This record gives sequence, structure tokens and C-alpha cells, in this order.
Amino acid sequence: MNLLESVRVALEGIMTSKLRSFLTTLGIVIGIAAVIAVVAIGQGGRAVLMSEMEKMVTNIFAIFVDWRSDKQVTGREFDLSDVAAIKDKVPEVTHLSPVNQIMSDIRGPKDQKLAQVIGVSSDYSYIRKFNMKEGHFFTEEDDAGERRVAVLDEELAVQVFGRASALANKITIANTPFLVVGVVAKGESALGFSENPRLYIPISTWQVMFNSQVQELEGSTSAKENVNEAMGQAVKLLERRHQTPGKYTSVSMEQEMQAANKITGIMTLVIGAIAGISLFVGGIGVMNIMLVSVTERTREIGIRMALGATRRDILVQFLIESIMLCLLGGIIGMALGAGGAYLIAKLAKWPPLVSWWTALLAFAFSGAIGVIFGLLPANKAARLNPIEALRRE
Amino acid sequence: MIKVINLGKVYQAGTQQVVALADVNLSIRPGEFVAVMGPSGSGKSTLMNLLGCLDTLTSGSYQLDGMEVSGMSDTEQAQVRNLKIGFVFQAFNLLPRMTAMRNVELPMIYAGIAPRERARRAVQALERVGLKERMSHRPSELSGGQIQRVSIARALVNNPAVILADEPTGNLDTRSGEEIMAIFQELNRGGATIVLVTHEREIGLHTARIVYFRDGRLVDDENVSAPLDARELLNANMPAGQSPGIIESGEECG
Ligand SMILES: Nc1ncnc2c1ncn2[C@@H]1O[C@H](COP(=O)(O)OP(=O)(O)OP(=O)(O)O)[C@@H](O)[C@H]1O
Ligand SMILES: [Mg+2]
Repeated sequence: MNLLESVRVALEGIMTSKLRSFLTTLGIVIGIAAVIAVVAIGQGGRAVLMSEMEKMVTNIFAIFVDWRSDKQVTGREFDLSDVAAIKDKVPEVTHLSPVNQIMSDIRGPKDQKLAQVIGVSSDYSYIRKFNMKEGHFFTEEDDAGERRVAVLDEELAVQVFGRASALANKITIANTPFLVVGVVAKGESALGFSENPRLYIPISTWQVMFNSQVQELEGSTSAKENVNEAMGQAVKLLERRHQTPGKYTSVSMEQEMQAANKITGIMTLVIGAIAGISLFVGGIGVMNIMLVSVTERTREIGIRMALGATRRDILVQFLIESIMLCLLGGIIGMALGAGGAYLIAKLAKWPPLVSWWTALLAFAFSGAIGVIFGLLPANKAARLNPIEALRRE
Repeated sequence: MIKVINLGKVYQAGTQQVVALADVNLSIRPGEFVAVMGPSGSGKSTLMNLLGCLDTLTSGSYQLDGMEVSGMSDTEQAQVRNLKIGFVFQAFNLLPRMTAMRNVELPMIYAGIAPRERARRAVQALERVGLKERMSHRPSELSGGQIQRVSIARALVNNPAVILADEPTGNLDTRSGEEIMAIFQELNRGGATIVLVTHEREIGLHTARIVYFRDGRLVDDENVSAPLDARELLNANMPAGQSPGIIESGEECG
């Protein structure tokens, strides 16, 4: 018997009890739908994450004291002359700023708040590519003159000024009056990370008000490709200047993106594995019903054998039946999964990503399940004794 | 055509051994029409299963169409069943969800005959048993006699060396049984070799030769001098519609 006839015979077997065939393959339908949906949603989410991160500034880096190092932390790991030195010696670094942070009490006409007071140089607005809602970022002169000027982020401005304009008005930081010279527009953060309310003041002023340390450095390069190189050189320079090898550590946005990428990858893998297990269970379901079906159709098998079907013919018939059932389930599941992924993507405003290779893989996988879980029932059918099979009711 | 020498069959039922056939010697020439008779449990079905390559013999030898059958592999036996043997069962054994046509096509599917040729021969076979009009009916839409005629069509469609019929009229009323015998006689006149098991001497007398079995042994071999002619009987004694005791048995095979 040729393959085409085998397929036709198997199809007849499937079509004679459509409802049961569908229920048999339901596990595969659900499993494949889950796999397709999970992978599509995972990939869609990842694409969104990546494109958001692309939008963010990718050519920046930070250098700070490595807390894990066994060296004593003195608080003198950085100083302001390091900034000039690095900018001078490492040509890739286009902007560099010291960054000091402290939580402090902010008072405005409307309300008072605890906020992050960040001391930076005027370079900082270039590093972070700030978008100003009002006014401007403070200048080099402000920094040199230790002026009491502050740049608020939008959220904080609303909190301490309400509807009134913050620009050119006064606030107090730890009871010291400051003039607001600018408000930074809220950045688009699709990732939903909410940061503490914050404001920026010149590093020189910060050091006068709080302490003379420099906590860490943040800088940018001309392109993201040379971030790691610039970072490494800056760290080496710092180690040379302070005679403290191994005390600094650095991180770039690029590295953080890779880490995030890895996490979403792992998540997709984990959920995918769970979906895979459900597929396996679906396969067992198919095997189970196929075994019952072989028992029920013992008489049919006996008749076919009496008419000249070889054991191989019977084996192939049931195997193809199982494969076709699973492929059918796979196709239905693929449609459902793609539909579900599309729906969720639409709700979450993600691009739906059902790649052709996922579809192909799912198709091949359901076929493979058909083979694996069809073998046992098919073998059982092929091993039947024709006389006993014919005698069965 | 069929040459059986010292044939024996022993069943192992648990610890017990059942001798179903012992020392059977039987030769059937091409074109013969033979009835096998004997009490229940005498080994008639066992013999048919062996002749039909559905079972393997325990001792002796069996040659079909000049080929030694004992010692054949499963696959070879399947091929012998497919090409050399046509079965007609008491329980009909059609596939219930398939049309008469498709049922008749089945042996040809396993023989690898192309669809067009298959359809042509299936229609031809159904025509020979007078059921061409019913070819798209399923067994549930046919009477018992018609179902058995479909299964005869199925048995002869691959031009087998021998047709083996185990109590083909056992589930049928007298008239339907007579019609089946008429078809067998016509096939036999056309050259078909037929071996038929029956409990009824009346049926046996339609053949040319009756072999008797008792306790697994062939005990008598009788030539029927003047076989009954089923067609004649049908025309004379039982004109359609008048015959008593006709129950249109609607039994399904299955
Ligand atoms: N699979 C089997 N296992 C054990 N014993 C069996 C088996 N098949 C048949 N027998 C025994 O072999 C003997 C012959 O059985 P067989 O079916 O050939 O009889 P039969 O002549 O066809 O009877 P009937 O007229 O009732 O159909 C019986 O004693 C039966 O019990
Ligand atoms: Mg019997």
C-alpha cells in the first residue's frame, strides 16, 4: 500500500468520529496554542523592551566604588580633578560628570517633600540628553560660582509647586534657599520604572552643603560602540591616579541592556518549557485515546488483516492517524495561539510576533509528538492476532 | 490447488492442550466446490483459518497453489491472504462506516491497485452479485443477504485461488441463504474454487463434494452425485415475496 492510500485510510479513521478526534487532539491544540502565544508574546515583549532601551541613551557609563572589593573605602576614591583628567586623557569620553546623591527635605510654596538631591556638573544634561520642559540646565558658571540654583524633575516640580510655575521661583533644600532655573521633562519610560522625585544642583554647591566627597562618575562617549573601551581606560586612569587597583567598577547601559535581554530570554524559556510540558501531556492524551481506539477497532484491524493488510500496513495506518491528529491539533493550536498572541499584543500595544520559524517548529513538533505517542498504539494494533481480532465483538 | 498432508493443530489453552485438528489429509483441485461439515467443535473453523493463512499449523504441511505455506513470514502470509484467498464470514465482517464500494475496494488497496482500476473492478464485482445499484450504501442500509453478497464481491475481487466461506449462510434466512448459494454456484461454474463450511446438509448438497469432520479428524469424504441447483430452487419453490419465514434481517456486520 502506498503512502497516499495510507493517508486516505487514516483520514477515514479520523473522520468517522470527528468529535472524538477533536477531543483527542485537544491537548495538542492547547499545548501548541500555549507555545505559540508564549513565544510570540515573549518575543513581542522583548522587542518592545529593546526598542525602548534603544530610545534611551545607550552610550553612557558609570564608574563607582566596588563595594565588594576588600579594600577600605575612604571616601576619597574620586575627586573633581579626576573628571578633568579623564576627559583629557580618554578621547572617547565626550562628557563626564561627578554624581553625588543625598535624600533631603525640599520645600516649595505648595508642599514639602523628601527628594533625591543630585549634585552634578553641567555636563550631566548632555550625558542624559535631558529634555527641558522649562528654563535650562544650570551652566558651567553656575557650577564654578557654587551658585544655589536647582533643576527639578517634572514630578517634583508638580509636587512642590502645584499648578504654579516653578521657573524662577524659590525652593529650599535642607532649609537653604535655591532658585529654580529649569524643569526636566518627564522621560518616556515604558518600562514603568518609577524613580524617586529628584532635583539637580551644581556639584560644587552640593559639596559645600553636604560633604566634599565625589560618590561616582557618569559619562558618555561619542558612540555606544566605544563605551566599554572608554570605561576601561577611565578606570585604569583612576587606579593609576589614586594608586588603588581593583577598587573601581563600572557599568554601561549596553551591558544592562544585555542583562535585561538575557532575563526576558530566560523568562520566555521558562514559560516555553511549561508550555512544552503541556504539549507532552497532550501527547499522552493522544496516546491514551489511540490505545482505546485500537481496542475498540480490534475487529476492523482483524478484517483488514484477513483482507491482506500486513502488520506494517496496520502500523503505518495508526501511526499516520496519530500524526495527522497531532498535526491537525497543531494547526488549530497555531491559529488559536497566533490569535491569542495578536489579541494580547494589541491590548499591550506590542507588535505581535509569530515568526515563521516558531510556526514551523510547532508544526514539526506536533508531528513528532504524533510519531512518538502514536508508536505504542500503532504497534499494539499491528501485533494483534488476526483470528482473535476477528472474533472480537 | 489445495494440498494438505498430515495437518495438525494444537491450541495451548493455559496449561491444557486442545487438539483441534489431527492427521488431516485433503486435496482440493482447481474449480472444485467443497462443503465442510461436522458437529460443533469438530475443527471446521480451525481448518478454514489454516487454509486461509490466518493461523499457523502445528504439524504437517499445507500447499496452496503449489506453494508451501507453513513457514511463511507474517508478511508473506498477508500477501497470500490478499492475493490467493477470498474470505466470506458468517458475521459478514464488512467495515460498517464504509460504503459497499469502498468495502469491496479494500483488498485491492492492500494489493496496490491504482484507484481507477480498483473502482472498475469493484463495480464489476458488485455487478456479479447483483448489487451494482447499492454500491454507495453502507452496511447499515443493507439487508443481511445483501451484506453477504457485498462480502462475496469483496472476496472475489482480487481473483483469488480459493474462496473460503465459514458458514456464510449461518446468519441468513433460507431464501437469502439460497441466493448466496446461487452466487457461489455461478462463481464455481465460472471456474472458482470454493470451500464452504456449513451445518446444514441442505446447503452442503449444493456442492459437489462434502468432507466430514469429527473431533478434529476428517472422517468421511462424499461425492454429491446430483448437486441441488440454487437458482432453480429459487425460481420454483420460493418465488420472491411468497416464501415463508423470510425475515429481512437487518443485522449489521461489525
Ligand atoms: N484459540 C483457541 N484456543 C483454544 N482452543 C481453541 C481455540 N480455537 C478453537 N479451539 C478449540 O478447537 C476445537 C475446534 O474448534 P473450531 O472452532 O474449529 O470448531 P468448529 O468445527 O468450527 O465448531 P462450530 O461448528 O461450533 O463453529 C474446539 O474444541 C475449540 O474449543
Ligand atoms: Mg466454526
